[in-house]
Amino acid sequence: MIKIIKVTGSSLSPFFNPGDFVLTWRAPRQFRKLIPGDTVVFDHSVYGRMIKKVTLNNPAERTLAVRGSHPDSLPAQKIGLVPYQNIIGKVFYRIRR
Amino acid sequence: MLYPFIQFLDRTFHFSEAKAHCDVPCGIYDPITAQIDALTVVRMMDLMDALAEGDDKSRLDFHNSISRYIAVKEEHAEKAKHEIRVIWGDFIKDAHVEKYPQLPGLVHKIMQLGSKCRQTASRDHGLALVDAINDFAEIFWAIKEVKTKKAKAPYAPGLEIVYPDL
Repeated sequence: MIKIIKVTGSSLSPFFNPGDFVLTWRAPRQFRKLIPGDTVVFDHSVYGRMIKKVTLNNPAERTLAVRGSHPDSLPAQKIGLVPYQNIIGKVFYRIRR
Repeated sequence: MLYPFIQFLDRTFHFSEAKAHCDVPCGIYDPITAQIDALTVVRMMDLMDALAEGDDKSRLDFHNSISRYIAVKEEHAEKAKHEIRVIWGDFIKDAHVEKYPQLPGLVHKIMQLGSKCRQTASRDHGLALVDAINDFAEIFWAIKEVKTKKAKAPYAPGLEIVYPDL
């Protein structure tokens, strides 16, 4: 399923900037193929819907480790592991502001 | 060329947003925004009640006003929940919960009362929401070792609010 999502905040700058739109593709069977550097949108229980880069994929545990690219990004430990079921989709296209 | 088109679609369909922020630890937390949201909820309930007492409910103006009051009540009940969730998730630590073991239950109660305020027009639920968020504010300021005082908000509905006594 394809979704259009608007980016707010700048933790993924310079790759994604506030106001950019991204297209995401959700295919749960493909989540295990996500690799470090891929960008995903997911729902976080505390911070809401977030967009981050994958740093580690653990198909056995069905979780991802993620981070932002900006020096001020929230530490990965604070975000915690992202369960596959919280993933909204992998970003496959960006529409720059 | 694509961006203006997507922007136009966004204005119509309101695409969901994904945060790449929440990242700078600004340390600015204050339950006053949630307290004002809760007051707004009660204010909207009062306005709805006053309007419902009028005799001509068939007028278009009645429906227009009541719809606006409900929309604002919905919005601020949800905002109150959001503000409390941010403090709960970002500021409150395990040590705080150990010191104030009533905190998890209180936060849960605020979430439920916020929902009740959306589901109903009961002023009692609104007042309970204000009280619960005041209780939360008292604990929040105690954690920050800031004294508090209670005073009536200087605007309708004029309910008592916990303020930091600076």
